[in-house]
Formats: sequence, structure tokens, C-alpha cells
Amino acid sequence: MTGDLGPALWAELLKVRRSKLSRISVLAFTVAPAVAGLFMFVLQDPARAASLGLIAGKAHLSGATADWPGLFALLGQMAAVGGLLVFGMIVIWLFGREFSDRTAKDLLALPTSREAIVLAKFAVAVVWCLLLAVQLCVLGLAAGAALGLPGWSAAVAAAGIARVLAAAALTVLLVTPFGLAAGIGHGYLAAVGVMFATLALAQVIAALGHGAYFPWSVPALLTQVADEAGDLPGPVGYALVLAVGGAGVLGTALWWRRADHTRCPRAVGASGRLRRTARRRVA
Amino acid sequence: MRDPLPVIETAGVRKRFGDVVAVDGVSLTVRRGEIYALLGLNGAGKTTLIRMLLGMIRPDAGSVRVLGAVVGADRTVWSRVGYLVESPAAYPELTVRENLEIVRRLRRLPEPRAVDEVIEALSLPPGARAGTLSMGNAQRLALAKALIHRPELLILDEPVNGLDPAGVVEIRGMLRRLRERGVTILLSSHILAEVTRLATRIGIIHRGRLREEFDATDLDSRVRRRLTVATHDDDKARAILAAEGFATLDPPGASRPGPLALPADSPPDRVATLLVHAGCPPTRLAVEEEDLESYFLRIVGGDDDR
Repeated sequence: MTGDLGPALWAELLKVRRSKLSRISVLAFTVAPAVAGLFMFVLQDPARAASLGLIAGKAHLSGATADWPGLFALLGQMAAVGGLLVFGMIVIWLFGREFSDRTAKDLLALPTSREAIVLAKFAVAVVWCLLLAVQLCVLGLAAGAALGLPGWSAAVAAAGIARVLAAAALTVLLVTPFGLAAGIGHGYLAAVGVMFATLALAQVIAALGHGAYFPWSVPALLTQVADEAGDLPGPVGYALVLAVGGAGVLGTALWWRRADHTRCPRAVGASGRLRRTARRRVA
Repeated sequence: MRDPLPVIETAGVRKRFGDVVAVDGVSLTVRRGEIYALLGLNGAGKTTLIRMLLGMIRPDAGSVRVLGAVVGADRTVWSRVGYLVESPAAYPELTVRENLEIVRRLRRLPEPRAVDEVIEALSLPPGARAGTLSMGNAQRLALAKALIHRPELLILDEPVNGLDPAGVVEIRGMLRRLRERGVTILLSSHILAEVTRLATRIGIIHRGRLREEFDATDLDSRVRRRLTVATHDDDKARAILAAEGFATLDPPGASRPGPLALPADSPPDRVATLLVHAGCPPTRLAVEEEDLESYFLRIVGGDDDR
């Protein structure tokens, strides 16, 4: 299968290069650090924040402080919560498009194995999502530097960036089951529904204080600022994230390999009409 | 003598989806060099059968072998098979060339020239985005994907769908040339006139079962023939013929429009002489033969009546 991966990767990369989603995701992860910078800008000056009304209120609700640790915490939240949506959409697009464009059938009887195609899709998703996380960090650093935020040190920056990237990496693992949902649902819709349901559940369970044991809540908990950290994820939480990631990849590969790839054969209406035509012709 | 090694061989293949039995015990053999046409109404089980041949669906029972290999056991066999299943599909934002380049790589073809050759063979616009192609060109692109690796076996579901008459003729010619080169073709089609022109063997599938299977050259011996007679007074002609022992196929008083129909073995010269002498000369006398379409509809319609 090793030899199969090269052509499959080439194909996936070409599809990504030509897709609108690649540009949309870059835009989303450009807007995100800009918003984080705006929050910092508001929080830097409470008087100026008050004059901004609603935005100032939301900025305070975020619990962030106008310094480098606060900025990194905010970027981490964006990678974890925003990542679940954007990374989720990326995985759903990579798999769901084959059903929406009806090209899945062209991938099933080839010398290149189905598993290689699935792995190539996940590999592209991982690289794509991590590059977006790097972009988030770079633009976040630029925003923080432009605002002249206090609290900078190499150690703070390294720890902050490591947390953002770790949150992104964990989130990538957590979106792999959406690839399976896109396959079972034969397109985008069911998988998007699963993604939003998961996101809502993650928020509710984290709010109830059980987030450390619900994998989809773990990345957001990881990126909390230190003084909020009453519910940090432990080894069990991380193990569950790894298990979800592994199960997502394995489940998707097994589904592509073993499931019946068919459209619903119940074209009874059309065939019934044709049968009636046949009877009339015979009569 | 038939080739002892079949290219496609199914034995008692069965597939059920919930309450619907899509394919019910189909045993079918396609031999090297044949153009085997699978005929059936929508929902008859053609596409399910084709998907089982390509390993996309697992049969509940029975066995499927393609090019000597059990389907699912050895994927290297797919490098010798080209296929087009259901409607043509391509990545809409990619150009024709890019779509074919993806297929070339996934099919592990070392020669980049293969893309240019198939583009030229099918007169495709290489730089056009697949999403902007006409239905006919989309069908050509799908055929190009099936042909790019010069397969030994082609499995084509409705290969001339969406093509204009010139395109149909062109594809027909191409399939004939492929057969001359030894390529075996299994195709399903609703266009029975096309099947008549192309197929060397025909299978009729209905409600998941293979109802009939015969060489295209045997169609002659299977179709119904009849002698049709048109006169100015059909009731009088019927009575004259009945008095001489010629029973018409449609009973007196039948509302069926058109000429009287007699069994095919009725001698036309005797019928004509009889009617002329009785003062009811025929205005038209012809031996009519069922075509494949009528034969097919009789088989599947008759089956529904049972």
C-alpha cells in the first residue's frame, strides 16, 4: 500500500489546490487572529472598550487579559473551538465531495487501494489543518507585536505557541470521525449535522464540569489560561482523544473497504412506470 | 467453440437491500471478445449486478469472478478493467486533463502520454473545466477515464447516454474497434436499437433475475413474425380468410387499429389470391418481424402479467 499513497496524495493535493475551501479556510484563519488582536486592543484600554459597546462586553466575557498569555489563550480557544468547525469542514469536504460529486465510485475499483485513498485524505487534512494553526500563530504573534502587549518572554511565547499547536493537533484527531459520517451519510449534510451536534455537546459537557472526560472538550480545556484551570484534561482525556482519532481513521478506512457502495436501489417508481409501459406495449 | 476461460463469471449471485431483492440468483458468463448487452428496466438489477462485478457491493450469496480472479481478493485485476457506472462524474473544478491525470496516477500508469492519447481519441477539450462540459462531453470524459489504461475488459453502464447522434455513432465505432482488438465489453443499455447494432450476446434481466440469455444472431429465431394484411374492409377480409381456415391473430371485433395479423407461416400468395377473388383485394401485405425492443417488452411485460 506504501506505493499507493504517492498517487493518492498527489490527487488529493490537486483537488485541494483547486478548491474554494482551501482559500476560505485561509481566510477564516486570517480573520481569527485579527479578531483576537481586536479583543486585545479593546482590553488594553477599558475606557476605549466601554465606548465600543457590545464588542467591549464580549471581550470581557471571553475572560482574556490584554497580555501575551491572554492572547495565546484566545488563539488556543480559536484553534480548539473554531478548529472543530473549520477542520471538521475540511475533513467533511475531503470525503463528502466524493459522494456529492458522485466520484466515489471512480475510486473503488482501482489498482490503488481504497485504504490508500482514505489515508491520503486524512494526511492532507492533517497537513492542511496544522498549516492553518501555524498561520494562526504567526498572525497572532504579528497582532500581539503590533499592539505592544505586555508579558512577552521567549518562554511565554514558546509555551503559548505549543498550546495552540497542541490544541490544533488534538482537534485534528477529533474531526476524523466526520470523515466516516460523510461516507455513511453519502455527502456533506449528515456529517455537518454530526459536527454541530458534537460541538454543542462539547460546550454543554465542558460547562457541566465533565469536559476532561469528553474528548471533544479536551482541546478547549487545554488552552485555558492558567488562573482558570480548574478542569484541565488529564491522561484519560488525552487517551480518549487519541482513541477517537484512531477510531475515526480506522472506521473510515474499514467503511470504504467493506461497506456496500450503492445508491438506494429502490427506483420502484420509475421501474413501475416502465413496467406499465411494457404491459401496454405487449397488449 | 467458445473460449473455455470466461472473462466474467457469476454463479447464483444474490443481493437484497432490506425488503428488496435487487439481484436474485443471477448466473452469467461473458467470454473473451464478446460484447455482452445487459437489458433491463430501471430497478431490474443491472446496476447492482455491475457494482457487484466491480467489488463495490458484496453479494449476499453466490460468487463473482472477473478475469479469473474472485472479486475483492485481488485488486491488481482492476488495472485490466475499465468501467463507467451510472451517470458520468468528474471533479467539476478540475480541467479535463487534470481529471484524467488523477485517473492515470491512481491507475499507476507510468506514461503521461496516456492522457493526451485518450483526450485525442475521444476529441475532448483538455483545458475545459469538467463542471462546464456538456452532457455529451461529460460522458466522453467518463469513457476516457474507463479507457485510459487500455483495459482488457470494459464494463459500461449506459455508455451512450447523453451523446448526440454523431457521438453515438462515434462511440459505437470505437467499441467495435475495441472488440476487434480483443477487448471484452459488458454494457447495459436502455437504447435497444444500439444494442442490436453492437451486441454479440444479450441478457435480459428483470426483477433481479436473468430471464433470457442468447447470442445476438439467435434473435431471429426468437422473435415473432406475422403476416399483416390491410384491406378497405377488414371485417369482410377476416370472414373470407376464416372461411378458408386462416385464423387472424386478433379476434373479430377487436378494437386494435391497423391491419389484420395472420400467423407467419400463412402463405402470402394464397392469402392475396383468396382476397382478390373474393372482391376484397389487399392494399398492403407484409411479413412483419418483432424487433429487439418488442421482444424485450414482451419478455418483461409477460413476466409482469404472470
